[in-house]
Amino acid sequence: MTKPIELPQGTLEMLILKAVSLGALHGYGILLRIQQISDQRLEILQGSFYTAVYRLEQRGWIKGEWGESENNRRARFYTLTAAGKRQLKSETSRWTDMTAVVACILDKKADEI
Amino acid sequence: MNPLAAIRRLWHSLAPRSHSDIEEEFRSTLETYKEDLVRQGFSEEEARRKAYIDLGHPATQNQTYRQAIGLRPFDELSGDIRYGLRALHRNKSFAAVAVLSLALGIGATTAMFSLIYAVLLHPFPYAGADRIMNPVIINEQHPDEPQWFPLNSAQFDALRRAAPVDSLLGFNNSHMEITGGGLPEDVFGIYVTENAGGFFGVQPLLGRNIEPFDSGHSVVVLNYRFWQRHFDADPHVIGQTLELDHAAYTIIGVMPRSFAFNDTTGVGDVYLPASLMRGIGNVPYLAYIPWIKLRPDVSLAAADAALEPIVRQFAKEHPERFPDHWHLALQPIIVPYRQETGRTLTLLLAGVVLLLIIGCANCSILLLARGRTRVHELAIRSAIGASRWRIVRQLLVEAMVISCTGAVLGIGASYWLAKLPLLLSPTSFPAESVIRINAPILAFSVALALLCGIMFGLVPALRLSRNDSARMLPGRQTGVVAVPGKQRWSVLIATQVALTLLLMATAGTAISSFLRLEQMPLGYDPANVMKLGIMLHVHDPGEWNRIQSHSGRTAYIEQIRGKIASVRGVSTVAVGTDATPPYSGSEGSFNLNGNPDREQAQARVMLVGQQYFAALHIPLLQGRIWNADENASGDFVALVNRAFAARYLFPSHTLGRQLRITSLTTRNRYITTSAQSTAWRQIVGVVGDARDDGVDRPVVPAIYIPYTAEMLPYVQFLIRTQGDPLTYLHAIRAAIASVASDQEVSNGALPLDEAIEHDAQYTRQRLFSILFGVFSAMALALALVGIFSVVAYSVAQRTTEFGVRLALGAPRVHVLWVAARIALVSAAAGIVVGLAFDSFLGVVLAHWMQSNFAADSLFAAAALLTLSALLACVIPARHAVAVPPAEALRYE
Repeated sequence: MTKPIELPQGTLEMLILKAVSLGALHGYGILLRIQQISDQRLEILQGSFYTAVYRLEQRGWIKGEWGESENNRRARFYTLTAAGKRQLKSETSRWTDMTAVVACILDKKADEI
Repeated sequence: MNPLAAIRRLWHSLAPRSHSDIEEEFRSTLETYKEDLVRQGFSEEEARRKAYIDLGHPATQNQTYRQAIGLRPFDELSGDIRYGLRALHRNKSFAAVAVLSLALGIGATTAMFSLIYAVLLHPFPYAGADRIMNPVIINEQHPDEPQWFPLNSAQFDALRRAAPVDSLLGFNNSHMEITGGGLPEDVFGIYVTENAGGFFGVQPLLGRNIEPFDSGHSVVVLNYRFWQRHFDADPHVIGQTLELDHAAYTIIGVMPRSFAFNDTTGVGDVYLPASLMRGIGNVPYLAYIPWIKLRPDVSLAAADAALEPIVRQFAKEHPERFPDHWHLALQPIIVPYRQETGRTLTLLLAGVVLLLIIGCANCSILLLARGRTRVHELAIRSAIGASRWRIVRQLLVEAMVISCTGAVLGIGASYWLAKLPLLLSPTSFPAESVIRINAPILAFSVALALLCGIMFGLVPALRLSRNDSARMLPGRQTGVVAVPGKQRWSVLIATQVALTLLLMATAGTAISSFLRLEQMPLGYDPANVMKLGIMLHVHDPGEWNRIQSHSGRTAYIEQIRGKIASVRGVSTVAVGTDATPPYSGSEGSFNLNGNPDREQAQARVMLVGQQYFAALHIPLLQGRIWNADENASGDFVALVNRAFAARYLFPSHTLGRQLRITSLTTRNRYITTSAQSTAWRQIVGVVGDARDDGVDRPVVPAIYIPYTAEMLPYVQFLIRTQGDPLTYLHAIRAAIASVASDQEVSNGALPLDEAIEHDAQYTRQRLFSILFGVFSAMALALALVGIFSVVAYSVAQRTTEFGVRLALGAPRVHVLWVAARIALVSAAAGIVVGLAFDSFLGVVLAHWMQSNFAADSLFAAAALLTLSALLACVIPARHAVAVPPAEALRYE
């Protein structure tokens, strides 16, 4: 197993939006899915994770509804709203642009300038 | 963020998920996580433990949620408010005093500001009321008696065309009678020029106002009160007919309640077009009293200058109506009230502002004193981790709870307090002014109170929240603590005491000048005298024939007078026509034989019977009073008062001088005059000065002549009785009925001392002394409570110290002194400062109050204040020595 990565400020919310965009999930399910996709390389503190979920819901980007979980327990499932979709799209493109620029700068060698 | 998103967030914050919803979701997560852990090989017990450690406890999850969505500060604030309310509830007397201090200050200030606004700044409902002027002639020899001047229609037109005049209203008053149904009823009519509707710009309650096209039409507009009284507020009154003096008028409008034109010369019951004036009596010339509305851009001085030449021209046409040396002055219509009531209200305003300051000071003294007792509590909170901001906020919220409660109570109180002066002295204010609570002023007072709450909450808050719990915590245990912040109270207490002294001294002056007014010799004796009016039957032809002639009317009146005099218990009965105190007689002009060049002098003309002087106990100083025969003829005799003799006659040559009153002419068919009413009259005697221009204005020169010289269709009797005159009313009515069974008696039977009590000057002085008395009593109470609570708090806090002192053998008196010292010294300083300040202010106040700022009332106030401050210090300080030393040392 590789070394766990700490998330930069604000990226957790983007990841949650992405995870929910792949299908309705309950809170703990979102956490598991992010860890699963990241191949367990992300360490997410449970406390800050729920704060992020609540904040996304309050902003109206995800919507929670009560339903039945895989092991027959009542759980609250979150889905992406239309506003959430737009937000995810703009966040993704912002992130891609930023990483591209950063990567470009980091890739430069002395003789290329 | 786009606006839609903002709304979405707001919605979620306003309707957050419920506590149980959050908890259920969390428990479900907790269970799932635990099962996961069990699957990973943890035991059931270990998994539960790890789940709690990683995720937290369900009970705190709701807090996490509310913090996440930004509701946490509100939760804390509402917690602070709840805590503040609980703290106040625990400490009821503190809370009550602090809240009441503010409420009194806010209530009284707002009420008084509102009153001043309504009375002095904006009392009239007329459009452009501040541009409406009342032109008066100032006689330069007697500048304090401004004269009105009537205009004929040519002069009226000339004035209307003058450059600074925007519009001109002419009016004239007339006593009329409602005829055509049942008993005749007296109404007061005012003829107004047909531009009245536009001039006043007041929206009628019903129908419309008088307009130019009403000229010559028999229409009438009703006053609100008359409409209520006579028509029972009938909403369908428009279009009905009102018969006045046997002529039918169509009712076209009803004015709103606030329209009471014209308060200075009498509020009209009905308003009629001036063009109808031609129809009544034989008016010698059409006379209008003018009200001028100036153009908006014209200054008062410029208007005076522009109009003066026009009025000079009028004086050339009718020199007999103007004094020798005069100038024109335009008076804003508010002036009579401003002169009479303005100073009073301004002083009262100053008084309530002082009260507000005292209230705020009191509140801050209490907050500071109370803050000191909470050092311990706050030190503990700070020791267990409360941030400084958190403690400051807590203390601020508590202070705000007090000031807000005070503000709310104050607003409630102001509604009631604003009505108080009107109840106490209805005649001092224009009838039209409707007292409303003035919103900007209310906002100002509330803001001031809140500011006071913040400022005086903040000072102890910042001081107490200093993070030195180590120093504060052991404070109580060691027993003797340094007392922080002494100076701040001392200054507050001294200020409060000084201001209270100022208020008390002013109240003392007001009250003593009122008492002086009450004891002032009037020149007549109003006790046990009643006035009673009768209206002669002018509209019943049978009755009228009997009393139309001069001799018939005299005989009729004398017959009634004789019957009233024969009632058992009635000692003297006198006849008078509008000669009833406190305002007796009417202005008239006269000539003195021997100085023909003299200007037409003015004097009060009193139409009275020869018993008048005996009935009112007015002494005869020189000569004699006319006899019954002279009284019946009405001619050739007159009496004057001392003021008249002093102004117009030489002391050596008073009796036997002759004078002539030119205005005693028959002006309409209801008035009869004696055969030679305008002929020369000999002055047969001089009587003492009886106040004829109200109770506290100087006596105006007066001429007394037999009432038969000019008989109006009504007359009053002044009846002196043994004991309360009203108890004889029934017998007197019976006596009148025995002369003529259908003779009406007016409803206005009134003992003279009551008439004086209803007089505007009298009620104003009374109002002034009552209100100032109340304000200073409130201020005194507040100041005493402030002193009391400071001493009580400091004694409570220093119980241990006093125990130690007593145990070590300190004399009780010494401990008492130590306990009360700070407060006593600051109160004494306040009194000294107050005395110095008052003596300085005395000069200013004496000018304002038009009476001497009495030194004795100042010292009486200082003595009272000293005594009560001493008590307020000593009573709580006695607790310091009352505690047994052993118990004091065990304390805590």
